Formats: sequence, structure tokens, C-alpha cells
Amino acid sequence: MPTVREILENKGDEVWSVSPENSVQTALEIMAIHNCGTVLVLEGSKVAGIFSERDFVRCSVEIPGFSKSSKVLTAMTTPVFYVTPDQSIDQVMLLMTEKHIRHLPVVENEQLVGMISIGDVVREVISEKDTTIRGLENFIIGREVSL
Amino acid sequence: MATVRDFLKVKGHQVWSVSPSTPLKEALGIMAQHKIGALVVLQDGNVVGIFSERDYARAAVEMSALNMDTPVRELMTSPVYYVTPLQSADEVMALMSAKHFRHLPVIDDNRLVGVISIGDVVKFVIHEKEDEIKNLEDYIWVHFA
Repeated sequence: MPTVREILENKGDEVWSVSPENSVQTALEIMAIHNCGTVLVLEGSKVAGIFSERDFVRCSVEIPGFSKSSKVLTAMTTPVFYVTPDQSIDQVMLLMTEKHIRHLPVVENEQLVGMISIGDVVREVISEKDTTIRGLENFIIGREVSL
Repeated sequence: MATVRDFLKVKGHQVWSVSPSTPLKEALGIMAQHKIGALVVLQDGNVVGIFSERDYARAAVEMSALNMDTPVRELMTSPVYYVTPLQSADEVMALMSAKHFRHLPVIDDNRLVGVISIGDVVKFVIHEKEDEIKNLEDYIWVHFA
């Protein structure tokens, strides 16, 4: 079973982040430039929260007086679920589907080492299952030929 | 190979929709309340657009202030990519990943019959592959064990 570490090795450890004091406008600009749906909120090297397109919708509806100059601090989701590099892809997928979350920070020894998305996980799961299917098919073909 | 029709049988035909003149405030309220990421925009029964949390987040960058009375028509994505009930799960997944879509309306005979999300497709495809693995294992067990 592949682990989170293997996904990070393929996709790299790039993470887009803002500070809790940044404005919502700044966070939205970063998301637009990099065409992503989430930014991590970092206080120094510590994960303070996560801010997503969905948080933006929720805050616009629920917080009176919310504007783009509001601080990310007021709009982010916290605490943040996270995973470690040694967790299996199946565990991560379970966490993502149960909690309806699409992005998880990867933390090792209290340090942020990357971020994985539901898309990364799905690609990995599907490729792993395809490999299993091919292996089983080859086994059957091999045995039938030798019979 | 599973088709879009098979998904809809499992997840149902429920679609959250608004009209092009619906104010932003109301559309966002529906999305937040039902925890959904996109709404289909319908005019006289025809799909004229789709409005997603991403459309809002991107449009907001350019708006000088968040005007909650803006009609959805000004922010929606249009024209809309769609699929038909007979398309395969693989085709849908390919379209979604190529275009970075999370939602696609399903249209049959010019009629909206459902919406499928990337989550639906993934759950279905993984389930299907697990079935295939189980069948192959059973076959091996019966024939070679």
C-alpha cells in the first residue's frame, strides 16, 4: 500500500500559504494566480488554519460585515486535520471522504512538509488498483497458457 | 463499463438550481446551506450556466467590493460543458480532469436530468475496480487453487 510520502515524491512539496493577518483579498489573489482552491494559513512554520473557496462562500453568507479586507484569521477553518508522510493512501482517502475535505497538510516532526489533494489521492488509488488488476490478469493468462 | 445513467440511479436526480437573475446573496445561501459547491443556472428549463464557489472566488478578486445583489448571470460560467446519460465513467473522469471541473450537468434530450460531481465519479470508479479485483481473485481461486 503506497503512503503519503510517495505522493509527495511525485508531486513535490510546494504549498501556497498566507499569514493569519493577511486580508481575504490577498488569499483570493494567490488562489486565482495559482488556480487552486485552498491556501494554508501559516504562523511562522506552524499551521494555524486553512482557507478555501468554500470558507469564502460560508463567511460571505454567515458573517455580518464580512468583506475582502477582513483578515484571513476571521475566515479560516481551524483546527486543521493533517496527515503524516507514513500514513497509507487508504487512511487518507477515508479521512477525506468522511470529513468532506479536499486538501490535507502533511506534517512531520511538527514541520509542514507538503500538501495533498483529493485529486492526488484518487490518481494514486486508481493507478494502484489498475496495477493489481493487470497482475491478476497476467497470472490468469500465464496459468491458462501453461495448462 | 459504468455509465452516467448508473451514477444517477445511485445518487438520485436532485439538482439545486437558480435562475440567471437570482442575486448572489441568495445563491451563496443555497450553497452554504446544502454544503454544495455549484448550482445549475436554468432559464425556461434550459441550462444557461453553472455557478460554482470557484466562480465566486475568482470574480471576487476583481470586484471592488462584494456586491451581494449582483445577479448570478454576471458571475456564472457559460456555455456549460455537459454529459449525456450514456457516456462512460472513464469519459466523464477524463473530461473533469482535463478541464478541472468538479461538476457536470447531465442532459438527455435537451432536458436536465441530474448533476454529477467528481466525488460521485471517483467513488463509483473505485468501487468498480474493487469488484473487478474480487472477480479476478474468485476466478483464480476456482480455477487454479
